[in-house]
Amino acid sequence: MMAPRGRILATRFGLNPNSSSLGVDVTFLLVGAAALSIFTPVIGALLRLKRREPAGE
Amino acid sequence: MSERTRVRAERFGAIAELVRPRALVFVDRAFARRLGVESEGWKADPTGDGALGARPLSAPIEAHLQLTNRCDAGCQGCYTGATPHGAPGEWGPVEWKRAIDHLAARGVFHLALGGGESAILPWLGEVAAHARARGVTPNLTTSGLAGLDALVSIAHLFGQINVSMDGIGPAYAAVRGSDRFAEADRAIRRLRAVKREIGINVVVTRVNFADLDEIIRYARRRRLNEVELLRFKPAGRGAATFAGLTCSDAQHRAFWPTVARAARRHRIRIRVDCSYTPMLVHHRLDRKLLERLAVYGCIAGDFLVGARANGSLSACSFAPVAPGRPKLDELESYWEREGAFGPFRTWREADEPCRSCEYLTLCRGGCKAVALHVEGDATRPDPECPRVVDFRRGRPGRIRLPVAI
Repeated sequence: MMAPRGRILATRFGLNPNSSSLGVDVTFLLVGAAALSIFTPVIGALLRLKRREPAGE
Repeated sequence: MSERTRVRAERFGAIAELVRPRALVFVDRAFARRLGVESEGWKADPTGDGALGARPLSAPIEAHLQLTNRCDAGCQGCYTGATPHGAPGEWGPVEWKRAIDHLAARGVFHLALGGGESAILPWLGEVAAHARARGVTPNLTTSGLAGLDALVSIAHLFGQINVSMDGIGPAYAAVRGSDRFAEADRAIRRLRAVKREIGINVVVTRVNFADLDEIIRYARRRRLNEVELLRFKPAGRGAATFAGLTCSDAQHRAFWPTVARAARRHRIRIRVDCSYTPMLVHHRLDRKLLERLAVYGCIAGDFLVGARANGSLSACSFAPVAPGRPKLDELESYWEREGAFGPFRTWREADEPCRSCEYLTLCRGGCKAVALHVEGDATRPDPECPRVVDFRRGRPGRIRLPVAI
């Protein structure tokens, strides 16, 4: 049996330089869910292409 | 800089960092396994799979470090109350680097360095390089009013640098209390000449709200890569000026349509800070889309933590020092402690009208720093949330229809 593919739950884009709060990029709020649906598989593919380096090591 | 994907196991699955495009990606357990991540805790907790937000993260994704509280700008709304003398017992590079080691070991991905004015610190580059070496991306906010020559020479060490810019020309002085627009503008131009990832932070007040379009146009003209819009917070000197500078209720309700129009017109990336989530969800934005973009309200003591110039740990930069007065390098032992970060983790027990709000799990009751200042109780609903305003006016359940932008 094939292992389940799994899913991306959420994506936070960009870096937050502001040292007083956590900003969120609102670009996708403007372009909508459809655009994000197209972009999400690309993010997934990029993740799988990269070799893993555990955070905290 | 390494471009390998850093991955951190979480109860729901994992968080993975992408460098191009810059993103933190939250995935479920099955996806995490495909990235090579496995956690002992998953077997004992089968219901946690994919449950992002159900519990605090295993560690913050980001730490906000006030490297110093020294600054001579004297801005009237400074949320740290910075002075030319700084704060007692400020940490130096040895302590900050040790704390960064601790944060890196916990899997923290990003730092947001600020002050005071951190650009005046002769060891800023040393600390930023240390973070880079530990795999943690340092980002910086600066006024651009001091330490510019040194900052330009180390700008490459940072992921993103934003300069505080609350108005164009004379409007700058109206918000900040001193006419130093030309200096800040010069800093932006010099930084942009050596680095692409330069943006501006804009504290939105009732004074500059009408100028937002002009400010965003300015950012576009300077070829900046982003504008970050920040709600005015009643902390530091901002506590005394809050009543006069915080946006009006009408401005809060108009915030999202205004921002959306400007973003479309000027085609520049706009970020809004966590405290603006009540003003976004007021317009009944697509809940699923907000979830998929991890748009949350108060995530202090969860997704992020703050540290004062003396290393004291807080839920966020506006929050009082955490109960028990832990230091940043005690984060690991403090994080799981019962009652850690006090009211910042009790949003699930929110009062009305948050309790019945369909966006509660995202918004989390709005900004607790504002609630603490206005209500004297950080557990109270954000008093500037339009839904809360309507509820208190006896108009519960008033609904805005989605806005076509």
